[in-house]
Amino acid sequence: MIWAALLAAWEMAYRLIGWRSYIFPAPSHVLDALFRMEHIRTAFGNPIHTPGWPRGPAGVDLSGDTLAAALWVSTIRLAAGFFISLALGLVLGVLMWRWAWLDRFLGPLFLGMQTLPSVCWVPMAIILFGLSDNDIGIMFVLVLGSFFAFAIALRDGLATIPPVQARAGRMLGAKGWRLYWYVMLPASLPALASSLRQGFGFAWRSLMGAELVYVFVNSHGLGYLLEEARLGPDMAKVVAVMIVMVLVGMLADQWAFGPLERRVLARFGLGEKG
Amino acid sequence: MTRATLAESLRDAESAPSSPAPATLGNAVSNPPSPSPCTQEEGWGGGSAAPANRGRLNLESLTKRFGSSHAAAIENVTLRLSPGEFVVVVGPSGCGKTTLLNLAAGMIAPDKGRVELDGQSVRGPGPDRAVVFQDHALFPWLTAAQNVEFGLKMAGVAAAERRHRVEQALAMVHLPRSGGKLVHELSGGMRQRIAIARALVMDPAVLLMDEPFAALDAQTRTLLHRQLQDLWMQTRKSVLFVTHSVGEAVRLADRIIVLHAQPGRIRAEIAIDLPHPRQPDSPYMSELVRRVRKEIEDEVNRVNAQMAQDDWKPAAVDDLGGASGGMGDGI
Repeated sequence: MIWAALLAAWEMAYRLIGWRSYIFPAPSHVLDALFRMEHIRTAFGNPIHTPGWPRGPAGVDLSGDTLAAALWVSTIRLAAGFFISLALGLVLGVLMWRWAWLDRFLGPLFLGMQTLPSVCWVPMAIILFGLSDNDIGIMFVLVLGSFFAFAIALRDGLATIPPVQARAGRMLGAKGWRLYWYVMLPASLPALASSLRQGFGFAWRSLMGAELVYVFVNSHGLGYLLEEARLGPDMAKVVAVMIVMVLVGMLADQWAFGPLERRVLARFGLGEKG
Repeated sequence: MTRATLAESLRDAESAPSSPAPATLGNAVSNPPSPSPCTQEEGWGGGSAAPANRGRLNLESLTKRFGSSHAAAIENVTLRLSPGEFVVVVGPSGCGKTTLLNLAAGMIAPDKGRVELDGQSVRGPGPDRAVVFQDHALFPWLTAAQNVEFGLKMAGVAAAERRHRVEQALAMVHLPRSGGKLVHELSGGMRQRIAIARALVMDPAVLLMDEPFAALDAQTRTLLHRQLQDLWMQTRKSVLFVTHSVGEAVRLADRIIVLHAQPGRIRAEIAIDLPHPRQPDSPYMSELVRRVRKEIEDEVNRVNAQMAQDDWKPAAVDDLGGASGGMGDGI
């Protein structure tokens, strides 16, 4: 309700005062931008032509990728980078939990990396991988911007496993890899679930940042779309793309990682259901 | 408290956590040696050697020191369990009794001395010396039945036999219908019974119990004492049981070992030559508890004085003060 009222007020303010829409678009323009990116014409488009903006026939913006294409590119990158990052993070997390000296060495480093915005990896990625192969560069930024989150979350989670569970497992004959597979891994599921959730947030933010900065070449993806909109300048499209970014992150959390975590916690009797 | 009201309260305690335990549970308290639903001959342990031949646990001159502390947690302790013997180690907190149990389990290695089970030197933990931990240590991601099954699975027992033995074990602890429950859905007493089933299903030579009932309320504890005695009389496993409760020790033990703290040594051995199962509220038992307490009193007082700032003191007062009366014995 409050949101609807706010949007209505915003729309009204635009209509009454008449800001320049490419600097301060109305909600209807943002909605129009969403459709425009899919080359669909709406009745509530921006009446004022943005300066220097190439217009296709019938006023439909044909420049750049469609939203669906950009979303697809970003999703593929996210999926690939997420799993690389996850694998790396899990291995390091287990090793850090296992060996205190490694934790003492890497722990502060990872905490430091957490304060470093992930786009700061872009210059290094460009030097290493050049501008031509932007997929690898972007993936590099994504992985470096998120693997430590998996590692730290898993290490912390493993540390909360009562030592008596490992002892119970050994007493019952679980040795070597079987102790890890049948006892330590399931015991760390709550930690794993929350590390997935946290790591995903880092991965998504890193990806968007990388795509946004990696615009010297046409890198596609949502971040690129955002930068493209800035060049317009097309504020409605900027806002539209940002909204899509937020939605993707929120939906993944609400529909995938959140429920996963709740299910694990319920099983362990740790959630509200317990 | 009279016998009748005690039995009644036990029945109440049992039915409270929606337990499907059969009515014989409550009755068993007032009608001793009831025939068990599962006997040794029914294949308990599946063709193992007769219990009388297994479970000779020898702890030989064990010494264990942690870190740089000047007093050894365990110093030159020798303890030998005959097959089928129920030995209870009592002593105040910090006297090294859990260390002794961990040494027997193979969880930790002794600095000096050795642990032998049926002539074999013990290296590392294993299902032949099954442990029941104080805080149950069940796996929360598994159901009760899966917890019981776990050790069999690790041992590579075939699925059909696993199911059969798990059923037997659950019946043995009177929880035949709780197998599908998750750990957090079980009451504290039920968790410990599942933990006992998980240990017994492995048909261990020795059962090692580390204050298994310390975290339970008094009524549940008394009930589980009774059930443990029944189980022990059926299976005749050797049991090494650690506790700080004298009442518990007198109720369960063939032999009580009193540990001396810092360094941890054996201070006294007391044989309890009473038939099982024992009634906790018989005047004779109360008298026995009083006598054993008297023997332990010096040691408790000494350690108590040492640990004056410790929050252990209330437990000590309880242990010494609740001399007579059925419920006091369970503390």
